[in-house]
Amino acid sequence: MHPTKSGRWTTQTGSSTYLDEAIAIWLRDLRSEFRTRYAVNAILMFAVTALVAVSFSIGAFRIADAEKSFLYAVLLWIILVFSALSGLSRSFVKEEEAGTMDVLRLSARPQAVFLGKLFFNLTLLGALELIIVPAFILLMEYEIEFPLLFASMIISGGLGLGAGTTIVAAMIAQASARGALFSALSFPLLLPLMITAIKGCERAAAGMHTAGWPEVKLAVAYVIIMITMSLFLFPLVWEE
Amino acid sequence: MYSLKTTNICKYYSSTLVFKGVSFQLNPGEVLAVTGWNGSGKSTLLRIIAGLVRPSAGRVEMFFKNEPILKESRRRFLGMVAPSLALYEELTAFENLEFFCRVRGISYDRKKCLNLMERFELIEQTKKMCRNYSSGMKQRLKLIQALLHNPPLLLLDEPGCNLDSKGIKIVEDIISDHRQLGMTVIASNEKREVDYADRVINLSG
Repeated sequence: MHPTKSGRWTTQTGSSTYLDEAIAIWLRDLRSEFRTRYAVNAILMFAVTALVAVSFSIGAFRIADAEKSFLYAVLLWIILVFSALSGLSRSFVKEEEAGTMDVLRLSARPQAVFLGKLFFNLTLLGALELIIVPAFILLMEYEIEFPLLFASMIISGGLGLGAGTTIVAAMIAQASARGALFSALSFPLLLPLMITAIKGCERAAAGMHTAGWPEVKLAVAYVIIMITMSLFLFPLVWEE
Repeated sequence: MYSLKTTNICKYYSSTLVFKGVSFQLNPGEVLAVTGWNGSGKSTLLRIIAGLVRPSAGRVEMFFKNEPILKESRRRFLGMVAPSLALYEELTAFENLEFFCRVRGISYDRKKCLNLMERFELIEQTKKMCRNYSSGMKQRLKLIQALLHNPPLLLLDEPGCNLDSKGIKIVEDIISDHRQLGMTVIASNEKREVDYADRVINLSG
């Protein structure tokens, strides 16, 4: 079965790029998630419950128009960040729980695993933002002066959120008390991003066009730094 | 062409010594059996060879035409079957095999996968989710996964585990076929499996 008739060894190895391997992992995770809905259920349940609770409770108060842009940005990002924290660790934790970590270690290179999991988490976050952000705007009657700036902040903030949570998820996957550890480790890492994203969304809503773009640039820089550092650090986390 | 050399491998868990001074060289066509009591470190030794666990001391090297293969690349030249290595339960057998082909950079050849499934008598089960497989069927699928990329080094930890007599016969055939050019390391205490080997290392001794 293995050697050819001429006796030449026909081992098939190493013809893939990191991106090919990452895409294979991403597609497999999507397929698994589509069938099990572990992460999607956790994230969406939290997000929808929080959104409904916020819209009902805030609706009872009269918030001054001048404060709306800031307060709504804070609430939106609290919902997005904590929804992400409720489910994004699943990408690595389910590998550990199912005992598939080792077979993945033997099959794919560490950086490809990180990228594949990052793509998967970004897909989940993208879906979350597509549902929650328009729903938040509608329910809260959130008026946004500069939609392009607002959308850029949501996208760059989402990318940062995905990058930060993916590396933390890898770090906590083999620990006990993963849930608490995931939130505890993610929070300080995500705090600078949250502050930036809140400022950016506030400025987009308040019509401070030129003041808002530096926040988008800051978030993009955070994404680049976080992904670059993770690609260097992940092999150390991934190996025993 | 390919060879494997281990030099004075030693493993401690915390301060507990599991084994020490394990040295051997394996050349193409050779089969090595690792035996020992439960907890003597058979599986750990295989995991060290695979690069999944770091030895406390000593070296594992793999060579191609006497040129060393980098540790990071070594995993691509081996196929491993072990009770601790699980497959994706929420995927079908074909989806699992397709994933392992793609992630290893092998072009997915459905015909080859069908042939392997036929050889392992899983051809009727290709569309079933792996979670619905019996433990013996899962073991057969693990063996297919390990052979998918025709690795020169096969690491088999309890290969007959959960298999019926037909399955055991297939394992025998695989080890025999693999002898033609590849190396095989078997960790087991089953006499039948140890008998396939040319050499035996006893970790209890």
